[in-house]
Amino acid sequence: MAREECKALLDALNKATACYHHLVLTIGGSADSQNLREELQKTRQKAQELAVATGAPLTTALRDKGMGAEERAEFERLWVAFSGCLDLLEADMRRALALGTAFPLHAPRRPLVRTGVAGGAAGVAARALSVRNLRHEAERNFDADDLRELEREILQVGKMIHDLEMKVNVPRWTVQARQAAGAELLFSAGASSAGFVSVEERTGPCDPSKALAATVFSAVLLAAVALAVCVAKLS
Amino acid sequence: MPIPPRASPLAMAAGPASHGGCPRAQMPHLSKMERVVVSMQDPDQGVKMRSQRLLITVIPHAVTGSDVVEWLIQKYCISEEEALHLGVLLVRHGYLYALREPRSPGLQLDETLYRFQTPYFWTSTLWPAAELDYAIYLAKKNIRKQGALVDHEKEHYDQLHRKINHTWDLVVMQAREQLRAAKQRRKGDRLVIACQEQTYWLVNRPPPGVPSVLEQGPGRGSGMARRVQMTKNTDFYKQEIECCTKALGRIRVKSSVCLEAYLKFSSQHRPHDPIMSGCLPSNPWITDDDTYWAMNAPNVAAPTKLRVERWGFSFRELLADPVGRANFMDFLRKEFSAENLSFWEACEELRHGGQAQIPTLVDSVYQQFLAPGAARWVNIDSQTMERTLEGLRQPHRYVLEDAQLHIYMLMKKDSYPRFLKSDMYKGLLAEAMILPETKRRVFPFMWKPRHSSLSPALPPASASVEPVAAAGGPGGAEGEA
Repeated sequence: MAREECKALLDALNKATACYHHLVLTIGGSADSQNLREELQKTRQKAQELAVATGAPLTTALRDKGMGAEERAEFERLWVAFSGCLDLLEADMRRALALGTAFPLHAPRRPLVRTGVAGGAAGVAARALSVRNLRHEAERNFDADDLRELEREILQVGKMIHDLEMKVNVPRWTVQARQAAGAELLFSAGASSAGFVSVEERTGPCDPSKALAATVFSAVLLAAVALAVCVAKLS
Repeated sequence: MPIPPRASPLAMAAGPASHGGCPRAQMPHLSKMERVVVSMQDPDQGVKMRSQRLLITVIPHAVTGSDVVEWLIQKYCISEEEALHLGVLLVRHGYLYALREPRSPGLQLDETLYRFQTPYFWTSTLWPAAELDYAIYLAKKNIRKQGALVDHEKEHYDQLHRKINHTWDLVVMQAREQLRAAKQRRKGDRLVIACQEQTYWLVNRPPPGVPSVLEQGPGRGSGMARRVQMTKNTDFYKQEIECCTKALGRIRVKSSVCLEAYLKFSSQHRPHDPIMSGCLPSNPWITDDDTYWAMNAPNVAAPTKLRVERWGFSFRELLADPVGRANFMDFLRKEFSAENLSFWEACEELRHGGQAQIPTLVDSVYQQFLAPGAARWVNIDSQTMERTLEGLRQPHRYVLEDAQLHIYMLMKKDSYPRFLKSDMYKGLLAEAMILPETKRRVFPFMWKPRHSSLSPALPPASASVEPVAAAGGPGGAEGEA
């Protein structure tokens, strides 16, 4: 059905936007590199494809005059989420352009800000593109060309948003979201795992790193005691 | 959307015009702070970096407060106090954040470690924090802390849920996806990014009690770099020409002339000013004795000497004082030119009176003063008379203004000097009394001592009569003994 299809595409777009946001956060920081810029490009291109793909059925659905009120409300909800997502994507793309221009990778006297983020973000980009592994195949001056292309893409996305708004008129104030306040707590599948322990918090007795260290230590201690007993018995 | 290369990072020419429409600019102090932070990153000449050791993970790129201060002193050749202040500004604006207690506002000089904020989260007026982003952040925090948000965050969360209710689906979806995307990174990076985001929101949505660094006072908008340049077309130049012409036409007085007049006024009025010269008998506000007001009432029978003297300063003073005006009227009657003053008074009444009475009043004035052969005909020159009679056809409030001015100047040049030289005026001056100072009563059980209030402008040493009073009236009560 059209609604499920739209919802699935919207979820994919949402995922791509979130991953792109996460990648843009690290531009200009210590994790900035050629690879990151390449990942950014791939992610945003995927996001744009998804945006175009989602926009078409939504537009046709909403322009269909003969739809029931219930279904129309549903589509309007999807539309509001879709246009919000597109706005977020465009804002992040603009930020990426500004930051990319301000922190060029190969400039001699413009060092990157040492933020403490060191690892690669290949996993994030792979998630956005829904592939298992990501290959990096960019040439040396990738970022300069990429910025030019990014500019063009920003204009394209802006134009797309404008066209969509012209075609479909959904008054925002009439849409009521389905999720209530606190809805995110219901499906937080293990998101509160120990991975998010901030520096000042202590998670109590079940800290896995501490437990691991304790078990390893006790095992080594037992082994040492056993060896000592054996040696004592033998000698 | 041209992006010209700029010296300060993060300054875009076009600006995010989609949000709001008007092109924004980065505030100058923020650009300066960014430049300082970027120069701190130099691998050879930047700040010394240490590592932060957590249990298993080691996260690089931490600095101590003292390193930062030392670097600032060395680079900019400033004193330690100033360097500390700069460091505090950097922390407060979110360019540096403390690793242990991100909410503490100052820069500790001990072993506390700090880290630099990522450029995406730098404080910016070019990219102001949006409600949607804040909502997504709060939702993420809600998920991570399993619903245990801080009070003010809970409040904001509820408010936002009401305000942007229509995009709440997007908020929830994005929050979940962003958390899942973050899981793809290794633990150290995840921690750092979470700290960065937390610092960003501590600066942009400060908790209650913490002053917001982004708040500009009223009328501070002109601090922004003006990038809007007026195109130099014909309208612009026409405006400029108009401004200059108006400026040329303004009357300019030489400052020497102005200042002379000012000095003259000050010296003339100084003895009459209650603050500069004290008021006799006593200041009613201090001694609760309102003789001063009673004796200086508008329509008092016997005016004080100071008042009578003031009539001599200018004609305007004389006419402004009702007693003076009455005496002047008496004088004019003796000289048989009282109709001038009456005419002037009638014109004043016309000017300040009610709109409905204007036609009748104009008519009566005409009949009494201006008509040929009138009972109290005033002597106006022919040109003014003609103009006035013309104007009388369509009477309005200011129709008699020319005539009034003429008569005023006549009285001022002619009758006023004679009045000042007349016996009447001299007699008034002689009769007028100077009010005596209220005597100090020495009875010990007097609660409120009545003494004259010398001028508070006088320095205490010069008070000869009342050394206690010179320290200020209220203080005198204590020294009464």
